[in-house]
Amino acid sequence: MSEPVIELQGLQHRYDTDLVLRDVDLSIGEGEIFGFLGHNGAGKTTAMNILTTLLEPTGGTATICGYDVVTDRREVTRLIGYLPADVRMYGHMSAAENLEFLAKLSGVPDARAAARETLEYLGCADLAKRRVGTFSTGMRQRIGIAQAIVHRPHVLFLDEPTSGLDPMGVRQLRETVLQLNRDLGMTVFMNTHQLNEVSKVCTTIGVLNHGELIYNDSIEATMRRFPDEASLEDIYVRVGDLAS
Amino acid sequence: MIGTIASQQSLLLRRQHVALVGLITMLAVTAIAGVLGWSSHHTIVRVFDQAVRLQAAAGQPAPPNPFLLKPNLSLLSNMVVYIPLIGALLALVVGHLSMVDDQSKGMGRLLFTRQVTRTQYALGKVLAATRFLALTLVGCGVVSIVALLAVNRTLGSSDLGRLTGFYVLSWAYLAVFVLVGILTALLTRRRSLALLSAIGVWLVITFVVPQFTSGLRPTQSLNPLTEPAGTSQAFFRVTQHAQPLSIVEQYKTAAGNILGTSPTSPTTETVLTIVPTLIAGFGLLVLVLWRIQRHDYARSASDE
Amino acid sequence: MSESTNRILQVARHEYRAAVRSRALIILLAILVVATGFSVFIGATDYAAQLAEYDAYRAAAQAQGLTRIAPSPLAVLSLLRGAFEYLEIIGAIIAITLGYLSVSRERVSRTLPLLRSRPLTGTELAAGTFLGALAIFTTLIAATAVVGIVALGTIGNDWINPAQVLRLTLACVAALLYLSAFYCLGAIATAKAKMPANGLVIALGIWLLVVLVLPQIGDTLDADNQLPGGLFQALGLNHDGEVAVLTHFTGYEQVRTGIEEASLAKHFERFAFAMSDVKERYRPYGLPWLLNETRHDIGWLFAYTAVLFLGLRRTLTRQQPIPTGGNS
Repeated sequence: MSEPVIELQGLQHRYDTDLVLRDVDLSIGEGEIFGFLGHNGAGKTTAMNILTTLLEPTGGTATICGYDVVTDRREVTRLIGYLPADVRMYGHMSAAENLEFLAKLSGVPDARAAARETLEYLGCADLAKRRVGTFSTGMRQRIGIAQAIVHRPHVLFLDEPTSGLDPMGVRQLRETVLQLNRDLGMTVFMNTHQLNEVSKVCTTIGVLNHGELIYNDSIEATMRRFPDEASLEDIYVRVGDLAS
Repeated sequence: MIGTIASQQSLLLRRQHVALVGLITMLAVTAIAGVLGWSSHHTIVRVFDQAVRLQAAAGQPAPPNPFLLKPNLSLLSNMVVYIPLIGALLALVVGHLSMVDDQSKGMGRLLFTRQVTRTQYALGKVLAATRFLALTLVGCGVVSIVALLAVNRTLGSSDLGRLTGFYVLSWAYLAVFVLVGILTALLTRRRSLALLSAIGVWLVITFVVPQFTSGLRPTQSLNPLTEPAGTSQAFFRVTQHAQPLSIVEQYKTAAGNILGTSPTSPTTETVLTIVPTLIAGFGLLVLVLWRIQRHDYARSASDE
Repeated sequence: MSESTNRILQVARHEYRAAVRSRALIILLAILVVATGFSVFIGATDYAAQLAEYDAYRAAAQAQGLTRIAPSPLAVLSLLRGAFEYLEIIGAIIAITLGYLSVSRERVSRTLPLLRSRPLTGTELAAGTFLGALAIFTTLIAATAVVGIVALGTIGNDWINPAQVLRLTLACVAALLYLSAFYCLGAIATAKAKMPANGLVIALGIWLLVVLVLPQIGDTLDADNQLPGGLFQALGLNHDGEVAVLTHFTGYEQVRTGIEEASLAKHFERFAFAMSDVKERYRPYGLPWLLNETRHDIGWLFAYTAVLFLGLRRTLTRQQPIPTGGNS
């Protein structure tokens, strides 16, 4: 495997008495597209919140390109881009204004140009001057991706990126993720329930079950390991059964 | 980063029309204070004329000219009431909106995965809100000058200095309420609870504390001329020691001294009355900076 | 009981239960209770001292064999002035909050379409929520009155008589109308606003104008309030002189009165103060005279409340699925 970009060692998190992440060890290499799977409440978003510096873990460590997410927050935030689930931005401001502001906070020197280029790159320059408050879910998601990459991060975190999108929107998003990975060499970490998308986009997967990482391997190896299962959905169910 | 956050927040205040509504309200209120001042002036002239005629008819000497009893800036005495009532509520709302909009949109997830620190973020928000209040008060100052020139015909440099002092004091007082609005937004999860808690604090400061320290009934707080009542009671002889903590009374006292509408006090005394407000502001700023470090910005958007 | 009445009562019960679980409401109620309790305590303590002084004077006069003893200048009900003023200011905010919570709860939980898909009309919904709010206000006002009466009796050493109980009850009814009007205002503003919190801000803006600014302007325009200590005193005019001068200010006084009359709070205040002996000029008169004298005030209170209730009914009847907030 290539040099690890994301590394979790014995990662734990506890909300009061509830242990939501249990000693998670995980390593994701450069240029991979990683699909993080698991049932609702499995701990996927908590893990992503820790990796994006929004939450401090109660145990273990997590690093991005060797930088600790707790102690080296400044370096980590320079390296990552994040698309949260149900992304919203300032509704009274245009897409370009939102992007420019967020680019400035990421330390981009010419934020205005970066915003314009990003919108052009994603093929949504027509949305630049429109107020975000008037956008449909699909448009909002595209602007969400734009804000996540406006500073050209090394690692992209996507939390349920296809939720609420129509089939065309899902397809567009899939192509965007592949394009970002191919053109800009971004490593992608994606929380999702859409197993169909995972099989089309991801290079490796991990399955979280009640805070415990019960499976982690490349898609190819996974398909080889479970030759009798017809789809990734069947494999996911099987993995869950094996764990319990 | 602080400047970027502050500029962004100022733009939002403009776009949400909060700034416009707030500015119009405060300018209208200042104009009302001016009209009331003019009306007061006019009424005194007419009552004085009538009194002179009445006394002359009764063969008595003319009464003393009441304008000798009325200081130049008394025209603005109503502003001393409007700032703690309307200005403070506006400041609360501005402080409140500065934080809750980001919270309810889940913006924290986008902001704090960037290089901005929470301290920079909070200071940017405070800067934007207090800058907005400063601009609003400058507008009020201009309206006040126009009103004073229209009624008194002249405005000396000393009066201009007093006016500036009054609006600087008012800015410091309102900054406290911006911080209350921000802090309650950081302490509570729901927008409504945050706003109502802030209003609760305002009610206590404006109406309840003055009754405790000076025996002022709630509606007495609305009249700029009312003297504190009930201080003869033994209870108030004890509680009036806590009067310095009643920032609304301290503000009114200091404002009255600066405008010259209440019996003159030495400058040091006036400065001392401002100290509790400054301490309150500083204390609240520290609390805001402490609280924001612990705030959960990983939460997603919500409709409430 | 008809099905419609039953539905209204169900909604009212739901409204009551949901409201008493609200932390925001509890915070404001706590502020009101503490402030009112404190105000009554202070008044009652002072009253006890004054009553003791009067009793001493009467005993001394009787001992000296005086037959004409001045009647007590004290009016026990007037000690509730602070409580009424707090109801006027903080009570109105509580009422607006209740109206806001009532509508925003349905908006946030998106339950209005669920309610409207049942055989429940807009009128029933409005009547039910209004009744629920009335029940809360009745509890609040009754508790305030009982605390006040007990404080006056135990601390002030003067228990009120049945005639005073009747007048206090009427003042409480006026308070109920007053709070109901603000409840409707809070609910309407919240239902009409794109974001519930904006509705709350708008309702609070109206509260500020009606409860604080208009009465304040009316007070400030009072000719005698133009100088500290009183303009007429500064001019050396006695009461007759003051009356003579004021005959030239009828137009001015009408404008001033008009501004005050635009304020619902002023009507409530005048009625409640007349019923509770706050204004000395009302004290010598009986209830029929007082009611006649304040008929306009209670009339305006009824009118404001009725209009706002109809507005609430209209809002809830016409309300299509309420916007649930969003990104603006």
